[in-house]
Amino acid sequence: MKWISRKDRAREVDRAGWGRTAGAAIASFIYFFPVLVIIITAFKKHTDALAVPAKLFPDFMGWLVPERLTFTPTLENFVSVFSRSFTTGGAAQDTGFDLFFFNSIFIAGSSVLLALAIGTLAAFGFSRYPLKGNDTYLFVILTTRMLPAIVVIIPVMLMFRITGLAGTYTGIILLYTAFNLPFTIWMMKSFFDELSPDVEDAARIDGSSDRGVFFKICMPQVVAGLAATAVFGLILTWNEFLFALLLTGVDTRTVPVAMSQTIGGDIGVRWGLLAAIETLFLIPVILVTFFLQNQLLRGVTFGTVKR
Amino acid sequence: MNTTTAAHSSAGKLLAFRWDNWRLALLATLIGVPLSAFVLPNFAAVVATCILGGLLVITSVVYSWTRHVGGLLVAPAIAVLVVMNIFPLLWSLGLSFYNYRADRQSLSFIGLRNYERLLSDPVVWERLTTTATLVVLTVAVQMVVGFLFALLFSKQFPLRRYLLILVLTPMMLSYVAVGAFFRYYYDPTFGLVSQVVNMFTDEPFVLISSTGGAIAAIVIADAWMWAPFVMLLVLAGLVSVPKHLYEAASIDRVPAWRRFWSITFPYVKGLLMLALLFRTIEAFKLFDVVFILTDGGQSTETIALYVYRQAIQFNKTSYSASLSYILLFTVIVLTNLYLYLANRRTKEG
Amino acid sequence: MTKNFGQFTAVRDVDLTVGAGEVVCLLGPSGCGKTTILRMIAGLETPSSGEVFFAGRNVTRLTPEQRNVAMVFQFYALYPSLTVEENLTFPLYAEKLSSAERRSRVADASEILQLSDILGRKPSEIAEGEKQRVAVARAIIRDPSCFLFDEPLSRLDVELRESMRAQIKEVLLGLSKPTVIVTHDQLEALTMADRITIMRDGIIEQIGTPHEVFAQPQNVFVASFIGTPQMNLLGVQLMNSNDAETEFLLDGEPLKISMGSKVSDSLFGDVTLGIRPRAFALQDAASPAAITIKSEIIEPMGAETLIHGRTRSDTEIRVVVPREHRIQSGECLHVIPDSGQVQLFNEQGNAVR
Repeated sequence: MKWISRKDRAREVDRAGWGRTAGAAIASFIYFFPVLVIIITAFKKHTDALAVPAKLFPDFMGWLVPERLTFTPTLENFVSVFSRSFTTGGAAQDTGFDLFFFNSIFIAGSSVLLALAIGTLAAFGFSRYPLKGNDTYLFVILTTRMLPAIVVIIPVMLMFRITGLAGTYTGIILLYTAFNLPFTIWMMKSFFDELSPDVEDAARIDGSSDRGVFFKICMPQVVAGLAATAVFGLILTWNEFLFALLLTGVDTRTVPVAMSQTIGGDIGVRWGLLAAIETLFLIPVILVTFFLQNQLLRGVTFGTVKR
Repeated sequence: MNTTTAAHSSAGKLLAFRWDNWRLALLATLIGVPLSAFVLPNFAAVVATCILGGLLVITSVVYSWTRHVGGLLVAPAIAVLVVMNIFPLLWSLGLSFYNYRADRQSLSFIGLRNYERLLSDPVVWERLTTTATLVVLTVAVQMVVGFLFALLFSKQFPLRRYLLILVLTPMMLSYVAVGAFFRYYYDPTFGLVSQVVNMFTDEPFVLISSTGGAIAAIVIADAWMWAPFVMLLVLAGLVSVPKHLYEAASIDRVPAWRRFWSITFPYVKGLLMLALLFRTIEAFKLFDVVFILTDGGQSTETIALYVYRQAIQFNKTSYSASLSYILLFTVIVLTNLYLYLANRRTKEG
Repeated sequence: MTKNFGQFTAVRDVDLTVGAGEVVCLLGPSGCGKTTILRMIAGLETPSSGEVFFAGRNVTRLTPEQRNVAMVFQFYALYPSLTVEENLTFPLYAEKLSSAERRSRVADASEILQLSDILGRKPSEIAEGEKQRVAVARAIIRDPSCFLFDEPLSRLDVELRESMRAQIKEVLLGLSKPTVIVTHDQLEALTMADRITIMRDGIIEQIGTPHEVFAQPQNVFVASFIGTPQMNLLGVQLMNSNDAETEFLLDGEPLKISMGSKVSDSLFGDVTLGIRPRAFALQDAASPAAITIKSEIIEPMGAETLIHGRTRSDTEIRVVVPREHRIQSGECLHVIPDSGQVQLFNEQGNAVR
């Protein structure tokens, strides 16, 4: 056992053994169960997804449970997401989900990039060159993010209708940029605020320009924060529903809107397909939750709570 | 442009036609844009808006360039937010004093009539009550579940990092997906919830068929999604308690409950308050889950959904604009409180 | 109180007994395991092997709550959300006293440590020295089986440290309970302890009274650790010895010192001479009894002057002379060790007399 410094010892979290692991595992598993069922459903044929009693076990677990509770896994749903068509009783039906996936990625990607570029500059400004009423600006900025989407959307719809931006990529990307900006500014500001100003002062004394300080000194130190902000922005934008519902057209529809429309009618909801779409998105989400666990707190509170 | 007026008074400064007089440009934009939107035909209104907006941007840039680097850095962000958020909000504030309907051309100024109407409208109060019920229930469940999970994870144990992912995942999912899948679980015939209940009662079970059931359905879905958020904040508080305080407490022979209230809880208190406020603000906006799960049926229409209906389905644009200002005001108050607490906590730390 | 245990290197096979009313200091460089010993006495850490006894009772398997010890933590560990008064009252709840009795105990303790004025304040609102006194007060307010102090003064500035040292010593005198103090400051240990335990790398190097560890260090480590300026440790060859005089070879030059009696023949060869910087006398001319050094750095220390010098073959020697001697840098000095204060260590570094 290596020697622990006294300071670390004061900070160290109490340890518990495998008993706690078992308890936490059971609780976590129960909590995760709804997600697990989504994943399982993604591998079911349509009839299996609607079966009573629910078939929760793939057939390779047949030795464990009665046969009527098992199903034969299939990749059919995943294929349908991308193959543009699948067969229900022979008739070809267009899912269009490859387009919606592209839309979601394209729209979320561009707006996050834009917001990142504009927002990082602004965050640096707010952090290093406080304006008169700096806190008021920041408050107003955060408030725009906290507002119910419906409050903003009514005039925005009118505006878009007049300017012809409704249903276009430009319109929704612009709106999402504004949607991401408050988050980006607050997040990046919290990262800039944490940097030691001594290094920047030293660089200035050594003759570095303001621009040099920003690009050579500050940016390299917040790259991890930038990445975290981008990822959280992507998830937030990807999940956004109301703006997309009202401001995207047939060609620019995003995945959440398309999903909600799939369940519009009560009969014939393709639960397996929905599950497959959600499962596809689950992979990046779980990766993010794992790798950004230390930034998660800051991410979900818009940088207002750091630790 | 005009530098002859050597005005020293603030009013003179405001009215000076100079390239760096952004205040005047802002004033012109604020007055001119809503005005042109109604007075001028569509195309001309767009042109006028562009001209005024452009002027505002130019004057701000010139002003900043000569005075503040900081102002220049934040200008693009402010510009985007003004165009996409602040300006629409002001526009809808303007609209709320008219009787505008998106499906008709008629337009007349009716002053505060919309506000009078909505304050005396029993439906609005009913929707607010529904929203309040949902907010209280979902936030309460989130706090309790989140707190319990935080206690469970407050110690270091094997595989903790991996088990945490399982608990944190719901928070990262989209509302639509969560709504969709809870709808799948609540389905009267093949839904898991119905099947489980069926095993005991032998009768078909439809959770969403009653008001209580529908509210429970929404609360379960929303609380399941956001309890991890509370957990994350409480956990941050729990692990920030210095270990030597617990050691001192065990040396001082402090009983467990007193240890929790006097040592642990003060570290969690601030974050718990932040979680409470943040979740309240978010729950107040409750829309997506309700939209997908019940679509407002069984008296579960929240105020956000009601505004949506009024604006989009019934085209009562002005009326819903005035309604949305009530929401806006509430959120501003709550956000202000939240930031006040968050800042105080940062300073103390 | 006996304790010995082994396994990992933090502390190895330590055996230490503290009598009632005795103050024992654990002294050593940071990381030597002294805090680990303290925490094992308190019950915050379980020994991997070995046992802890309180007044004949085996407490090894007991929790801190069951052991009834009082401890002052290095970072004070004051409860931040409670006022000073509540902090002091906290340990009293377990003793099941009446509230009047609790109040009188708090009053007593706060009087002894001059805390009466700040009873209503929170730990974040009081000065470092006051926090320290609160931590001590919280310990002495109880009636424990022993007192433990973990680096109690390390976070105070020099002046405060001196006054607190005296104050704690006074408080400890009145308590007559076994007390263990962990410190890395030898001055603290020398002034406060009845006995000092000097540790290195988890091993006890010497246990003794302050006088013993200073005057008769058992090995080279203790010799170099105790005393400022540091003792000169000179690697020499023992050539010749009789009752009157012992002859060493220092860097090839003969050095004759009267060691009082004949040094054992078995030591002939490489040995270490330990001479404190203050145990030298200046002399005008070179002689076989004197070491000749060239002074390099002169450090005036007030009443005395510390001279860093080197012999002709570069062995470094520190000498402290009274202020009256005006030594210039570069000057040649002839210094004679005081034969009564010379320590002799064998090849393994252990003292032989």
